[in-house]
Amino acid sequence: MGVAAADAPVDRVIELAVDVPLAAFVLRVNGTLSSAFTAIMGPSGSGKTSLLETLAGLRPNARGRIAVDGAVLLDTSRRVRLPPERRRVGYVPQDAGLFPHLTAGGNVAFGARARRERVETAIEILGLRALLGRSPVSLSGGERQRVALARALASDPRVLLLDEPLAALDVGLRERVLPYLMRVRDEWNVPILYVTHNVGEALALAGEVLLLREGQVDALGAPLDLLSTEGLVRDAERGLENLLRGRVAAHDDAGGVTRVDVGGGLTISIPLVARAVGNIVTLAIRAEDIVVATEHPAALSARNVFEARIESVERTGVDVTLRCAVGRGPRPWLVRLTPAAVRAMELRVGTPVWLAIKSHSVHVV
Amino acid sequence: MPTREEWGIVLFTIRIATLATLLLLPIGVGVGFALARYRGPGKGVVETLVSLPLVLPPTAVGIVLLQILSRRNTLGAWLAARGIDVVFTWKAVLVATMVMAFPLLVRSARTAFEEVDPRLVGIARTLGCGPLGAFFRVTLPLAWRGVLAGTVLAFSRALGEFGATVMVAGNIPGKTQTLALAIFHDTQTGHEDRAMVLVAVTVTLAFAALWTTEWVSRRRTRRSIA
Repeated sequence: MGVAAADAPVDRVIELAVDVPLAAFVLRVNGTLSSAFTAIMGPSGSGKTSLLETLAGLRPNARGRIAVDGAVLLDTSRRVRLPPERRRVGYVPQDAGLFPHLTAGGNVAFGARARRERVETAIEILGLRALLGRSPVSLSGGERQRVALARALASDPRVLLLDEPLAALDVGLRERVLPYLMRVRDEWNVPILYVTHNVGEALALAGEVLLLREGQVDALGAPLDLLSTEGLVRDAERGLENLLRGRVAAHDDAGGVTRVDVGGGLTISIPLVARAVGNIVTLAIRAEDIVVATEHPAALSARNVFEARIESVERTGVDVTLRCAVGRGPRPWLVRLTPAAVRAMELRVGTPVWLAIKSHSVHVV
Repeated sequence: MPTREEWGIVLFTIRIATLATLLLLPIGVGVGFALARYRGPGKGVVETLVSLPLVLPPTAVGIVLLQILSRRNTLGAWLAARGIDVVFTWKAVLVATMVMAFPLLVRSARTAFEEVDPRLVGIARTLGCGPLGAFFRVTLPLAWRGVLAGTVLAFSRALGEFGATVMVAGNIPGKTQTLALAIFHDTQTGHEDRAMVLVAVTVTLAFAALWTTEWVSRRRTRRSIA
């Protein structure tokens, strides 16, 4: 999947120190983005799209400083404000924003800096050859996103801004567009800022995650560190997730499981996956899928039983969230229980417990 | 069939209407675009002023024009000093038809420009277009049907203008007499048969213009935004 490429160093660094007054709050972002692929995450209305528009020069009331690869796009203290056409920023909005009066090919070749060979390469990478004569209204959602992406790439951008390019697509389509994005990331030396709600996408693509909350930077760092920290991945749909990066250790075809070494002396059994031994995989375990026992469970169908110690007990909404230190792993695991269970089992900080997880509760992201 | 003299009137009318429309086109598109995009103080006043000729009696507009252009007033005197006489010449016909046709073009153009998604213009800018380039490559191509419909409406209005024209240009045969004025004149002087010939010509011209408008706006509603 080319996970390693996301962490490969780029010589392009995006410096941000901007204030943008929005309707509900002031978007304030300070930070340096240095990954080839940065995911911008956060709840709806936290300023993700506005941040992209600010970089593109479409927010005339932005103040502060923006520099990409040393080139200053905005510096209000020195009265520098490059207009959008001089920023060389490739922007793909959520709905693709294709020009309806042009064909797909006309859209790709629209950019003032879209020289022939760049257009050809973009068409090639995004597999658009057969669509060039089509009108945007006749294209599917995924095709529109690919055309918009090619149009942005062809205009020779210093940085690509993608606003949830996969959000409008159903799962099947998502999986067909994702490889194109990875190709762009790996073959085109352009740093990408990518707005997404999807933790799996961020983990698969990004080398860095910028978390926004009500216009402020909540966190900036490596996806695995951020996304498995409590509170950060608390979106209603998915609930809390434990994310673990590991290496495929062995396949047990007869037993129907693949064993993944997640470090800290822990090996997790998951249903057989078609990944070669030695491959790096990211595992997700929902906090509510973990069973807690106060004695070692001798006869249990769950294939994964780990000794652990409770580090904290916190009431989170209607549930209780436990942080448990497991093995010698660097991060605690999050476990969600009902208050009744916590009371009945007399769970408190320091209680030694066993955590049991069925193989089928472990998902490969 | 119309006589040679009547053909003269028809040609004069078409020439005036065409010239008025061509001169109005850049102004109407500019004002329509400005009204569609500008948000700020004074917008309501400009909108009202532009639309005023639509609701005023044309003769009232004519009187105002006559006042402005007469030699007793600043603009008229300034023009006269440069040897330009407007009142009771073909230029007065042109000015009167332009003023009366202007709101129709501006209102159509403005609506058409308002329908263009400003985000598309922003995207064009990020792709390297300056403000002017974005206007000609994105805004205008997306609004052209509405602009064309407004142009045809303005042209039709210019063809049939009567009230303002008669006030500021008079009704001088062979000099300022348009179709509308000639029909009135023929009727008043008892030449109803001649008037009917001219009416037939106007009906043909108006039908062609309006049919074009309908055809254009029908196609416009069929278009959808991608």
